[in-house]
Amino acid sequence: MPILDYITVSFLVIPLIILVLNNLFSKQFVERINFKLVGVVAILQMALAVAGFSLLSAAHWEDYRFSLLWDWTMEEAGYFAVNSLSLVFLFCIGFVLLVAVLVAKATVEQRKTAFVNLVLTLLLGMNGMVMVRDLFSLYVFLEIVGISSFVLVALFQLETGLEGAFKYLVMSSLATVFILTGLAFVFMQTGSLQYAQAWADWLSVQGTAQLYTYLAFILLISGFALKTGVVPFHSWLPDAHQSANTAVSILLSGIVIKVAGIYGFIVLTKLFPGFPPVALALRILGLLSIVVGALFALRQTHFKRLVAYSSVSQMGYILLGLSSGTTLGFLGAMVHIFNHATFKSTLFTNAAALSAQAGTLELGELGGLEKKMPVTGFSSITAFLSTAGIPPLAGFWSKLLIIMALWKSEAEGFAAVALLASILTAAYFLRLQKKVFFGQLPEKFGAVTEIGGSVKFAELMLSAVNIAVGVGFPLILLFFEGRGLL
Amino acid sequence: MNLLIALLSEGANLLWFMIVLPAVVGILVWIFREYHLPRLLLVVSSAMINLVCALSLDQAEGFARSFSFGPCGLELAFRIYEFSALFLTLTAAAFLLVSLYSVVFLQDQKSAGLFMFYMFISLAMINGALLSDNLGVMLFFWEGILCTLFGMLLINNLHQPKTAVRALVLSGTADLLLMLGIIITVVQAGTPKFSEIQRLPITGVSAVGFLCMLLGAVGKAGGMPFHSWIPSAAEDAPTPFMVAFPGALEKLLGIYLSVRIVTDLYDLQPGSGMSTAVMLLGTLTIIGGVAMALIQKDMKRLLSYHAISQVGYMVLGIGTALPVGILGGLFHMLNNAIYKSCLYMTAGSIEKQTGTTDLREFGGLAKRMPLTTACFTLCALAIAGVPPFNGFFSKELVFDAALESNTLFYLGALLGAFMTAVSFLKMGRVAFAGELKLPMGKKTIRETSFGLLLPMGVLAILCLVLGVVNTWPLDQLFGSALGITEVYSGWPHSTMLVVVSLAVLALALVDHIYGCKKTGSALQAADHIYYAAGLKRIYQAAEQGWFDPYRWLVSLAGVFSDFCVLIERQVSWFYDTAAVKVLLGTGDRLQQANDGSLSRYLGAALLGAAGVAVIFIVML
Repeated sequence: MPILDYITVSFLVIPLIILVLNNLFSKQFVERINFKLVGVVAILQMALAVAGFSLLSAAHWEDYRFSLLWDWTMEEAGYFAVNSLSLVFLFCIGFVLLVAVLVAKATVEQRKTAFVNLVLTLLLGMNGMVMVRDLFSLYVFLEIVGISSFVLVALFQLETGLEGAFKYLVMSSLATVFILTGLAFVFMQTGSLQYAQAWADWLSVQGTAQLYTYLAFILLISGFALKTGVVPFHSWLPDAHQSANTAVSILLSGIVIKVAGIYGFIVLTKLFPGFPPVALALRILGLLSIVVGALFALRQTHFKRLVAYSSVSQMGYILLGLSSGTTLGFLGAMVHIFNHATFKSTLFTNAAALSAQAGTLELGELGGLEKKMPVTGFSSITAFLSTAGIPPLAGFWSKLLIIMALWKSEAEGFAAVALLASILTAAYFLRLQKKVFFGQLPEKFGAVTEIGGSVKFAELMLSAVNIAVGVGFPLILLFFEGRGLL
Repeated sequence: MNLLIALLSEGANLLWFMIVLPAVVGILVWIFREYHLPRLLLVVSSAMINLVCALSLDQAEGFARSFSFGPCGLELAFRIYEFSALFLTLTAAAFLLVSLYSVVFLQDQKSAGLFMFYMFISLAMINGALLSDNLGVMLFFWEGILCTLFGMLLINNLHQPKTAVRALVLSGTADLLLMLGIIITVVQAGTPKFSEIQRLPITGVSAVGFLCMLLGAVGKAGGMPFHSWIPSAAEDAPTPFMVAFPGALEKLLGIYLSVRIVTDLYDLQPGSGMSTAVMLLGTLTIIGGVAMALIQKDMKRLLSYHAISQVGYMVLGIGTALPVGILGGLFHMLNNAIYKSCLYMTAGSIEKQTGTTDLREFGGLAKRMPLTTACFTLCALAIAGVPPFNGFFSKELVFDAALESNTLFYLGALLGAFMTAVSFLKMGRVAFAGELKLPMGKKTIRETSFGLLLPMGVLAILCLVLGVVNTWPLDQLFGSALGITEVYSGWPHSTMLVVVSLAVLALALVDHIYGCKKTGSALQAADHIYYAAGLKRIYQAAEQGWFDPYRWLVSLAGVFSDFCVLIERQVSWFYDTAAVKVLLGTGDRLQQANDGSLSRYLGAALLGAAGVAVIFIVML
């Protein structure tokens, strides 16, 4: 089907073309239109992902393979491929990118061209990551994602931004070392890094020299855990997410940690399913993240830092879902990835609004802004309720699926702790809401007004998505059922 | 009207009608609460219709019918058969007389409409409970009576609802026991239907179920240990309430269920341990109730203790599990309903005329209220067990059964009969014989009104009629309903029993004369028992409430609530202080450890990798 060829190729080609265009013309001209162009790219990506998804499911194809300029049918040739999983990721990437651009319109005032260049590189890296079909290419795109992220954090030359970026860089290098070594061990064992062959090869050598295989797993898990920001590999994440420009924080927290980290875990669990130590390691890391992340979040005094720790905690739920090894848990994790993208983007958008209007993000200084900034307050509350898993908002459903999956895979204890940790989630977000939106309005905020323009639009859009997914979730469940997934 | 008749000619609809009619009439009575005459007509006519319906069900062949409603397979299972139809009829007859008395008694009072409303709702509930074939459905109606009881006790005491609360606690506890018993029974039998439960053997868990159900049923009848609200109700509830509930309707219902438990649901063997336990409960109720009655100086309170004590005979009779005992218990239930409600009615009419029922304040009413005196005398003779009144015959049957089971219980019951006779001699002589004495401020009194005398007269004459013609109730009513073929009617079979009973009555007379001589007044004729060696202590303890189960429950509740407060404090300390401190403290510790130095970050990550390695090593 040639149309599917065009669609799939455009996920890689469009960012490249826009990247070229962004640097081809004069700065004055480019800076007038380039945000709009990125916005169009984001919307286009979402549309293409939806179109590709429908075409793929209409044709009942598992995988659709393609290449850019070479003939992938040749023996030993590498290729890209899309399946429903990667299309869902591509959609999420487009969605978060759209929000980031809407917020960037308000927060990014200098170095617009550089920002757009880096965002497009990041996009290219993430799109590539979810479409490659061998472990080494995965690593290459992962590095593209990583490097664009460091520079994005450091771009605006704030001192804290530089420090955060540096820590991110160092920790990511450690991850690179882990992942690359791990891949080397896998290659030593199997002789191939192709997804399709790695599993078969691994099966054939299983039982001989297992030490390297296990070392590979340990290193790969640690590497991807570093990229995801799972406790105890999380320490760089709050620094980087807090110090970056808010638009960058949205990208990092909303999608980058998921593509760079969680997607790695997905590949790992898909390629080597039914391996008990992997499941247990994911479970323990997940639970640790949930609880410790929430405890950290309870004590934070900075809006963005608190929300960043919340991301650490939420990644734990996704890992728990993946660790169950069942379709139900996998679906729960996927839905939670999307939901987390929604509500975490909302909260960072709120941060952008607050810092633009009130001028600070220190919780101790804020207060009583509920009346002054009703849209921000409302969207923040929907996001927090959704994160805490209050029905009927979106977050409730994904947590429910994850906890059900855990329960069914006989990890009742993990399920119970994950459920109880929702109380902690509610606790730190209630504290946040109370400090920012309720209580006494400090005198200096007497003249604060609601934010307008693209940020307000983003807030409204995200709240609508959050509520609509929650209320309409039975339809999504029906869709899953129709595809025989439940 | 034609439609109504057509509807009612179908027997199954009659079942509904028996429940819906009283409920509707109750609401109508409440609507017309301002007007006496329509209320009187409505009450009497509907009570009569109810009686007619009950009689026609009694005539019909037994049948069962289920009405399903709701989506969850809920159904109202009703069943009418000889035994329940009999009780339905007795209830309807008693209700006719009692409601007539109540509506006349309360005619000038504001609360009349509300009281009659509760009465009719109670009738609907009682009819429902008698008709139910499903234990759960029966429990629903049964609890409904608790609600109306509470409401009636609240009527004049909204601001000091002590008695109402007491009744609610005690009856509520009894009902809880019943509920527990029903749950156990249903689980053990595997079905909630009366008609499907085959007499369960009383062993293990079933014994608990039996005991709980029986205690609940006896508690409704007013037996120990759920009795102590009745005397306090005598003080502040309207007299018609005493006539209707502790007097007649609650006894009917409680004994109905007790008999069904013993004969239908469970297989109570004569001479078994459980049978002895029930008989012990009955004997204790007889003696405990009547011993307290002996020292009362207020008519209504005195009668209330007798209302408790009389239940003892029924429980004793039923507890023997012998046909003669069950028959005697049932007959005694009927007789007691007749003379006890009549006695309450005489107390009520005296109260209406003199304004009090305190025996210290009035006396010698015989000349002024001859008809009331006559009714009282007939009923007092009946309750004391003088031949040929009905009470004599039912007591002899119970004595017969008790003697056959265990001589000790027979002696206990005789002691009860002795004290009953003594206390009624005292009350009768003080209230009616001798010189006229009126409370302060009353110059003259006259006989009570016709509307009150009519039910009293009917009941008093019934006492004699049912005694003389005891073949009809014993053989036709209860005997055939229970399927007992032996004949126990007529003069008691054992001459020895009769002689002993008469001797006890003579002894009571002697004791009364001795008491009068000793103290010089009829009112204190029984006081020498109070002051007898050893008894005084017990009486004083009883007067201080040491034997009052309500007091036990309340102090138990106090201990329990103290315990709960303690637990609650710990729980809130855990939530409000400990958990918060631990969580925030941990957060602070983590925060301190996370000081931003890169080496620590790297160390943590390497430790994490080592941890993952440990997981692998442990798992493999």
